[in-house]
Amino acid sequence: MPGFWINMGPQHPMTHGLWNMKVKIDGETITDAKPEIGYLHRGYEKIMEVREFQKNVVLTDRLCYVSSLTWSHAYCLAAEKMMGLEVPVRGQWIRVLALEIQRVASHLMWLAAYGPDLGLLTALLWALRERELWLDLLQLLTGARMNQNYPRIGGVRNDLPENFDGMCRRVITHFEGKLDEYEKLLHDSKIFHLRTLGVGRISAEDAINWGVTGPNLRACGVNVDLRRLDPYETYDELDFEAQVWKGSSAGDSYARFVCRFNEMRTSCDIILQVLEKMPTSGAYRTKEPRRAEGDGFARTEDSRGEALFYILGDGDDRPYRVKIRSPIFCSMAATPLMLRGNKLADLVAILGSIDVCVGEMDK
Amino acid sequence: MDWELVAFLVLSVLEVVGSILVVTNKRLVRAAFWLAMTLVTIGGIYLLFGSEFIFLIQILVYAGTVPILFVFGLMLTRTKIMDEPSTEEGT
Amino acid sequence: MSQPLVPDLFATCKVLTGAILWVVQQILLALGAVIPPLKDLGNWLASDPVVSAVTWLVVMTVMLLWAVLINLLTMMWVERKFYSRLQDRYGIMVSIWSLPIWPFNRKDRPTHKGWGYLQNVADGMKLLQKENLTPRGADSAMFHMAPVLIASSTLMIFVALPWSSGFVVAKPDLSLLFILAAFSIAPFGILIAGWSANNKYTLVGGMRAAAQLMAYEIPLILCVIALVFTTGSLDVYEIVAQQERTLVTLGPLAIPAWNLFGPQALGAVVFAVAMMAEMERIPFDIPEAEAELVEGWTTEYSGMRFGLLFGFKWLRMIAGAGLISILYLGGWTGPVFTVVQVAGIPVPIIPEEVWFMLRVYLLSVVFIWISWSVPRIRIDQILQLGWKRLIPLSLLAILLAAGASLVGW
Repeated sequence: MPGFWINMGPQHPMTHGLWNMKVKIDGETITDAKPEIGYLHRGYEKIMEVREFQKNVVLTDRLCYVSSLTWSHAYCLAAEKMMGLEVPVRGQWIRVLALEIQRVASHLMWLAAYGPDLGLLTALLWALRERELWLDLLQLLTGARMNQNYPRIGGVRNDLPENFDGMCRRVITHFEGKLDEYEKLLHDSKIFHLRTLGVGRISAEDAINWGVTGPNLRACGVNVDLRRLDPYETYDELDFEAQVWKGSSAGDSYARFVCRFNEMRTSCDIILQVLEKMPTSGAYRTKEPRRAEGDGFARTEDSRGEALFYILGDGDDRPYRVKIRSPIFCSMAATPLMLRGNKLADLVAILGSIDVCVGEMDK
Repeated sequence: MDWELVAFLVLSVLEVVGSILVVTNKRLVRAAFWLAMTLVTIGGIYLLFGSEFIFLIQILVYAGTVPILFVFGLMLTRTKIMDEPSTEEGT
Repeated sequence: MSQPLVPDLFATCKVLTGAILWVVQQILLALGAVIPPLKDLGNWLASDPVVSAVTWLVVMTVMLLWAVLINLLTMMWVERKFYSRLQDRYGIMVSIWSLPIWPFNRKDRPTHKGWGYLQNVADGMKLLQKENLTPRGADSAMFHMAPVLIASSTLMIFVALPWSSGFVVAKPDLSLLFILAAFSIAPFGILIAGWSANNKYTLVGGMRAAAQLMAYEIPLILCVIALVFTTGSLDVYEIVAQQERTLVTLGPLAIPAWNLFGPQALGAVVFAVAMMAEMERIPFDIPEAEAELVEGWTTEYSGMRFGLLFGFKWLRMIAGAGLISILYLGGWTGPVFTVVQVAGIPVPIIPEEVWFMLRVYLLSVVFIWISWSVPRIRIDQILQLGWKRLIPLSLLAILLAAGASLVGW
């Protein structure tokens, strides 16, 4: 029997979105792979040119439907740099708080999706159960669960609600107990190790060359976390370590899993620090200019990797040109490297660990 | 006529026809089906001779063997699945 | 020892069938006064060979309804409820008050706070109404035959699988071998289904089923061989009867001499693992891995054909759990002796059927529990597990059983 191409997508339980992974299999072994993306392309960079600066926040929210706050924040950061705005200190702290809550919610969605990928539906429901709490926090803060439209150019939309720090602490106390539960379900499972250890390995060199960023690169043992390397907002005042894989089998699905999983603990830690260090009162937003000229460049550590915005303004009230770098778009290009030589069933174990978000990938 | 003779003849005819179809049939899955049919009818003849044990062992063993032969046949043929322009398409 | 509720299914059914046919005979005889040929027809219907023949049909129908309509639905319900609770949710909760029939359709009753037992019935009805599609390019005859092969071979297990010493369709001498033979037909159907649908997912699923078959079928049979060293019989009644005696008495507790306690313990574990692969439950549901193969070899089936393939997985689970109970857990033996006399007929308080069902359902819950708490393993890993672990272990079990029978344990 000759090897043949299988379409995994665009309608397939593995894809978590609208894209197509073509794999060529020989028996059960993947000999070649070819990601086909673009099914969800909406032309963000072009649409943003015809909207005013502030209105683009709504758009960038919809870039990634799992982690929308981090994306609108990255846009705001770039726009502020272009306009030369300085965000009030309290506004920066609130942003960090919101970003980390969003990061945990996004990672929980990834954890939830990774369970059924490996055939463990229980992980899905457990992770979604705790994600509700984080979405509740986001809802308290921003009023919405999914597309928050919260950051503003020059700050954030509203102040913290009453007693928000108490609620955050309650959620985190509860959540850290549940994280131990997930560890029992996944880390301690022999079958989970069988499925992920040594699967989908990519070397640090290859990962850097292909532009893999974020937890996927840190799983290769490269200490790259923009929150530490190029601190934005008030991350330089916080005390935390980027989650970098230090073990022997760097760059496999298990390393990616562990890095991402432990990032949830780091984020909880950051949130607790923010709640302590944040000034209790003060302005959280400055007035932004309507028109701007120049260029703004911002890169942030998104839940999935390095999110980059480059905005050019020509003195009008809307950007002249916007460039978005999406981390998954680059990671996706490296997936054939990870897939080749693995078994067909490993496809889901690998692609699930990369944490694909089609919204930002296709822009 | 004796019913045993009738049963024997029916089973034998099925077996012979089945075994011919195994080798002549172009479609792999049908050949596998006729192979299973042949083996089961041989088992039926065993049963007719009063040896239930061998009949059950025949089914038990060959029910496992036929899929394996089938898979071997599958791996050795170069049949195309889901007619497509070219299996090498999609570079 | 406890008594069966149905001492002899055939005799019980024959009384019923005989009564019904007697009524028909009387009606025909009465009509025969007008139309004379009906008199002969009536007498022929009530004659013993005809009653026996009809009784066979009735017995099979009773077993089919018992297995499919009662146990299959209950098992699906148990599974859905159990894994829902495992996942911190309620699961199916449709109540009987949501039925669109008048006495149930009551506005003052909550429709979704019930037990959800009828949800599976509703799902089955939905599947019945769906269109039955055959993909273009599929080998139509084979494609349509595969579900029949799988369903019929699964039902064939229940011909010889007893629910108690009396509640069984037929009692062949080699009943254990018959059950195993019936079990082993379905993978062939899976392979046919996988190939004939002309789809790549189903093809890979079918190939996986064939590869997996080799990995679990051999240890399964080897464990049975080890068991036969102890029992010396391939008759399930004989095997269960041997487990009825007491092994050791610990105070008020009398530990029965189940095959599990003794040299067969290793074989029992291997058999249970291999049985789990046979049932295609989650760590071993590689042929229909829904994450990468959508639904594997069942991808192209729709309507009730899919329903049959999907639902009969639970029937195989019941049969597998029943087989494990019979071989290693003492089958239907139970400790209750008390028998109540109702109008002269002895009715056991806890009959054998209940003891057997208790084992079957408890075992199934254990299987469900395992399958919803572990991920799925890979095809090469199940082959490694089968060939490198299970087969040596089952050979060791044979060695143990042979040694034990040598010293007369």
